[in-house]
Amino acid sequence: MKKNMPVPIKTEAVKEWVLDKNHLSYWLRQLRKDFELVAPLRERNDIVLKRIDRIHEIALDCPASIPSPKEFLFPQFEPMLTKGTDGISDLRDGSKRVIFGVRSCDVSAVNLLDKFYLSGIADPYYESRRKNTLFISLVCNVPDGTCFCAGLGTGPYLKTGYDIQLYDLGDRYLLQAGSKDAERLVGRHRFLMRKPSKTDHEDQYEAQASSKAMFAERISLEGARQMITDGKVADDFWQDVAERCFECGGCVYECPLCTCFSVIDRKYNAGPADEQVERSRLWDACMFKGFTGMAGGALPAEKRILRTKRWFYHKLIYYPETLGAFGCTGCGRCTITCPGKIDMASVVHRMGNEYSKG
Amino acid sequence: MNANNVYTPSEALIEEVITLSRNVNLYTVKTKEEIKWLPGQFFMVSVFGFGEAPISVTSSAREPLKFCIKKVGHVTGAIHGLRAGDTIGIRGPYGNAFPLDVARGRDVVIIAGGLGIAPLRPLIHEFMENGKDYARVFLLSGSKTPADVIYSEECALWEKRGIRVTLTVDCPDDSWDVCTGLVTAHLDKVEADFQNAASYICGPEVMIEAAMKAVSARGIPEERIITTLEAHMKCGVGKCGHCYMGPKYICTDGPVFSYKELRRLAERFGKGHGPQDDPMWGY
Ligand SMILES: Cc1cc2nc3c(=O)[nH]c(=O)nc-3n(C[C@H](O)[C@H](O)[C@H](O)COP(=O)(O)OP(=O)(O)OC[C@H]3O[C@@H](n4cnc5c(N)ncnc54)[C@H](O)[C@@H]3O)c2cc1C
Ligand code: SF4
Ligand code: SF4
Ligand code: FES
Repeated sequence: MKKNMPVPIKTEAVKEWVLDKNHLSYWLRQLRKDFELVAPLRERNDIVLKRIDRIHEIALDCPASIPSPKEFLFPQFEPMLTKGTDGISDLRDGSKRVIFGVRSCDVSAVNLLDKFYLSGIADPYYESRRKNTLFISLVCNVPDGTCFCAGLGTGPYLKTGYDIQLYDLGDRYLLQAGSKDAERLVGRHRFLMRKPSKTDHEDQYEAQASSKAMFAERISLEGARQMITDGKVADDFWQDVAERCFECGGCVYECPLCTCFSVIDRKYNAGPADEQVERSRLWDACMFKGFTGMAGGALPAEKRILRTKRWFYHKLIYYPETLGAFGCTGCGRCTITCPGKIDMASVVHRMGNEYSKG
Repeated sequence: MNANNVYTPSEALIEEVITLSRNVNLYTVKTKEEIKWLPGQFFMVSVFGFGEAPISVTSSAREPLKFCIKKVGHVTGAIHGLRAGDTIGIRGPYGNAFPLDVARGRDVVIIAGGLGIAPLRPLIHEFMENGKDYARVFLLSGSKTPADVIYSEECALWEKRGIRVTLTVDCPDDSWDVCTGLVTAHLDKVEADFQNAASYICGPEVMIEAAMKAVSARGIPEERIITTLEAHMKCGVGKCGHCYMGPKYICTDGPVFSYKELRRLAERFGKGHGPQDDPMWGY
């Protein structure tokens, strides 16, 4: 059980302040002067991340947003460039954004997305958005029933790798700045904040412990990885999984760590004899037959098992091998979205039941 | 290529278009900046309004940039609609190159199926230009019908410069008086010292698989059997995910792989773990 215990964060290492909840709205209003402010909002029954016009509409006491904040770094649809008579123009987005109220698991996902998109040949569209985006994450005091970040170290709070992390301590926030940019940003409104006291840290410790205790069941991705690499998981297992897949792509779209895209060209007339072409990219999904389709109509991954198995292999085997961490943060979005109940948690759970004993 | 946005193509002028067969054209293009490439690398070639397609370079480093393009669909169809004087977009070069060290001092067996000769052509030039670094060079090139044979005149030139060429077609007609049948059926004519040779193979997937097995059976070690793979590609730079093969992306980890690497991937991840469905992974 020792591994499960929260580790209090050493004060010297992190820049910390305390922000009274009464001052939050003022602080955000000030930030909004220099940044586009994005935060979770209730829209009918959904929680979505959106540009905030009225601060009081921000919804912090809600389940995870659908879709994830990857939308702001790698949008569902992103114009890349246009080509007209006067040449090519680059449509990279460089808006300054603060994304407020995201969860720790999503910040963990962004750290891994950084590794993927910025390593090798860096993706200029992602890079430009990323450079101009700052995340203010909120430690989850009450995880959703679908969350399993605790066993992965991707949440419910982070020890490193965040910009600004807030602990909700009831009437106030303990605010931690994890990057130089974040320190500078907080520095501008230091007058709203005070240094944390011993009581603040005790309350922080309480919050960490009680949140961790709320995770009912630990899903072990490492266990699943080992079962697969040990050759225990037969294709029959994947065949059963594949048969339940509706090929809707929901898992891919909602997952903060699915990164694939397609590119399309569209023509339109800007004026007589002035044809413009816009080249854009949009999310694509390895769950779809045509994803690997070749010229002439050959479909190398036509069998569904090849695609569903690939999705799990990518997240459980290839991600750790190539980027050093699982391609899953335990956010639970695929559990919410999958109509076939073959989301990450369910499949890993089932794999454990079938193969871990014996 | 635009220095700070890899996805922005640079405009290139089509200087010449030569018809090589009923559906294959050879394009010579001129870029504003000087571009260097290695045999085996490819470019993303675009026609705005239609899209981009990965196309191998078919010219050697001493020649102008040339692409040999078969009309098979949307983008390649649009390229075939262009003429000398038109512009296209290109970005690259991308991908790894054919390794040359495996062939130094050895016999070389090059096996091409159909358009597979296109990416192998700069390699053939390398072997001709630096002949002293390699022993004998054999080229086996197969096509479907006599009408599909490309680079036949060049083959005659290559022969004059010491390359031992065998041309074959699957379905001959009256005009064809050379070899017939699949390329692999003619390996017996290749008098290479197989134990001590290297092989470069490119063509349709089934042909690649058969050829790799055949030269392996004759004794070429797996790490000296080299091939280049094709896949659906949307970015060329390891980001769009379309060209996956197990943990690899063919655009950045390939497109050139050795038989050894491919077998190891197949052993670890089983059949069907890439765009190559079962046949490719059946080794
Ligand atoms: C490394 C590498 C090197 C290659 N080298 C060569 C070479 O030297 N010479 C050569 O001839 N070929 C080469 N190829 C193959 C060549 O890239 C394909 O033949 C080409 O991509 C086919 O594109 P297409 O649009 O003409 O075909 P299509 O079959 O029409 O389309 C292929 C792709 O375009 C999409 N598409 C089709 N229609 C549309 C549409 N209306 N709108 C938007 N998207 C559409 C399809 O979904 C598919 O993704 C190479 C491939 C690779 C991977
Ligand atoms: S959400 Fe479920 S049903 Fe839909 S594509 Fe993903 S695995 Fe298949
Ligand atoms: S695989 Fe599912 S639980 Fe894991 S990060 Fe993606 S959406 Fe969340
Ligand atoms: S072509 Fe996009 S990842 Fe290979």
